[in-house]
Amino acid sequence: MKFILKSLPLLLFILPALSVADEAENQIKYRQAVMKAIGGHMGASALIVRGKISHRDQLKAHADGLLAMSRDIPGLFPEGSDFGETEAKEILWERWDDFREVSDKSKTSIENFVKAVETGSEDDVVAAFREVGKGCKGCHEDFRQKHEHNH
Amino acid sequence: MAHVSLAVRLVARTFAGKTNSLSCMTRWFFSLSLFAAAPLWGSDTLVDRGAYLVRAAGCVSCHTNPDDHDNGGGGFLAGGRALRTPFGTFFSPNITSDPQYGIGQWSDDDFLRALRHGIAPDGSHYYPAFPYTSYSRLRDEDIRAIAAYLRTVKPAAAANLEHVLPWYLWRGAVAVWKGLFFEPAGFSIAPDKDAEYNRGSYLVAIGHCSECHTPRNRFGALDSSRFLAGAKDGAEGESAPNITPHRSTGIGKWSVDDMVYFLETGALPDGDYTGGFMSEVVDDSTSHLNNEDLKAMAVYLKSLPAIHNPDFAEKQK
Ligand code: HEC
Ligand code: HEC
Ligand code: HEC
Repeated sequence: MKFILKSLPLLLFILPALSVADEAENQIKYRQAVMKAIGGHMGASALIVRGKISHRDQLKAHADGLLAMSRDIPGLFPEGSDFGETEAKEILWERWDDFREVSDKSKTSIENFVKAVETGSEDDVVAAFREVGKGCKGCHEDFRQKHEHNH
Repeated sequence: MAHVSLAVRLVARTFAGKTNSLSCMTRWFFSLSLFAAAPLWGSDTLVDRGAYLVRAAGCVSCHTNPDDHDNGGGGFLAGGRALRTPFGTFFSPNITSDPQYGIGQWSDDDFLRALRHGIAPDGSHYYPAFPYTSYSRLRDEDIRAIAAYLRTVKPAAAANLEHVLPWYLWRGAVAVWKGLFFEPAGFSIAPDKDAEYNRGSYLVAIGHCSECHTPRNRFGALDSSRFLAGAKDGAEGESAPNITPHRSTGIGKWSVDDMVYFLETGALPDGDYTGGFMSEVVDDSTSHLNNEDLKAMAVYLKSLPAIHNPDFAEKQK
């Protein structure tokens, strides 16, 4: 009993910390799920754009999906979601303005891709898709560090 | 016939742990038709070929500082890029044609000694952070082409920075290291393999993929028994994955086409995109190569022995 009373203040201190950690963990899980969805649309689009498969009529849906999921990437990285099983690098929060800029550029490239799919020539589609890929790679270059264990 | 058996021995040696061999063996080059064939690296003048090779060999990423906007440097190939390794921080030098700050006064022989033997014009040894361990495979004529091209690169008046290293890594120590772990290998053609394979093997060697993707011993020498099998905690703490065709821990499930597309764009087969150093390799190097060469690299990589690496466990891809 004495022990419990003694450790109560400590517990009171730890519990909110635990729930904060929990929230951070869920934030991380959510953004990884969103990134996976984005990756899914990119993988599917790549097969169509490269002519490996003939679902050209589906391309618009993938492009729209990409755009919807990329509208606010910085919003997926709230302050405090930097510890836990994340591949996001510390500098993402230290260089927040750069991160926002890279993410805006990526969004613009996806908007252009959507337009190209709607009204452009096949060459426009290929070129616009390339630019989208550069956006993904550019941000991962600076702000993500993969772990050796793929999960 | 003598050539063939020599070539086989050379290949065996190159891939089966040359680290302990102290003997010095240089310059065995076999001009097989694939390398003699006319438009070599997709272009015909010496300077154009050099430009292509500088891309293929990945000189640009290391010798161009991506974030030096206000230091006066930051120019193309003007150096000043920090390379943080487990052994200390190296700063790449200026290799533009500037006669004072760069290497504008270098002769072809200076280039040959630097790239093949890791020796500076004043006779001192270069640190292997400059991957001459890979560039020793470059053929003479390719080094001359690189030299010709570098002489055309816009001069930048950017001074070199001092490396930041622990005391025991003074330049003299490099001679000892080289005695133990370095042998200017030259490139040898595998006579039992076709032209595409050999071309791919050459491009992967000079693309110095193994400098990141092969694990090192504690002296920083590559463990050639685990060639391209993945290395944890390399420069900047990044881990370079297993790129042998092991099915669950490497890239065994990738097709040749997947690899070509990856080297061209950085896209992984599952829709993810690469990052870190590999983004630079793709941006500055492999995306500049023609499709034929990328395919040759892919064919070669797919033909390597599959090595299991538990550090890069179980991919679902
Ligand atoms: C503005 C930066 C940024 C952009 C743009 C970006 N990503 Fe990411 N991505 C990240 C970061 C950071 C992570 C690591 C997230 C984590 O682990 O918490 C990540 C992770 C991922 C993952 C792994 C998810 C998982 O954990 O399984 C995939 C797949 C991915 N991104 C695909 C893409 C694709 C495809 C694009 C382009 C359409 C893209 N990303 C654009 C920053 C970005
Ligand atoms: C992994 C990074 C890296 C790559 C790739 C690289 N270098 Fe270097 N290079 C260095 C470093 C670091 C030094 C300095 C070594 C030292 O001080 O001992 C250097 C030194 C040099 C020097 C000597 C310059 C001088 O002033 O003495 C030359 C020439 C050179 N590199 C040319 C090249 C060429 C050509 C390529 C491509 C074929 C290349 N480098 C690729 C990192 C790199
Ligand atoms: C400067 C270090 C470096 C060099 C040089 C390098 N790589 Fe990489 N490579 C990496 C890193 C780090 C990754 C992991 C990138 C990430 O975080 O997504 C990687 C990833 C890859 C992948 C993706 C593997 C996977 O399973 O996700 C392939 C394929 C690859 N590299 C091939 C090559 C080839 C071929 C070369 C030579 C032309 C090369 N690399 C040169 C560091 C390097």
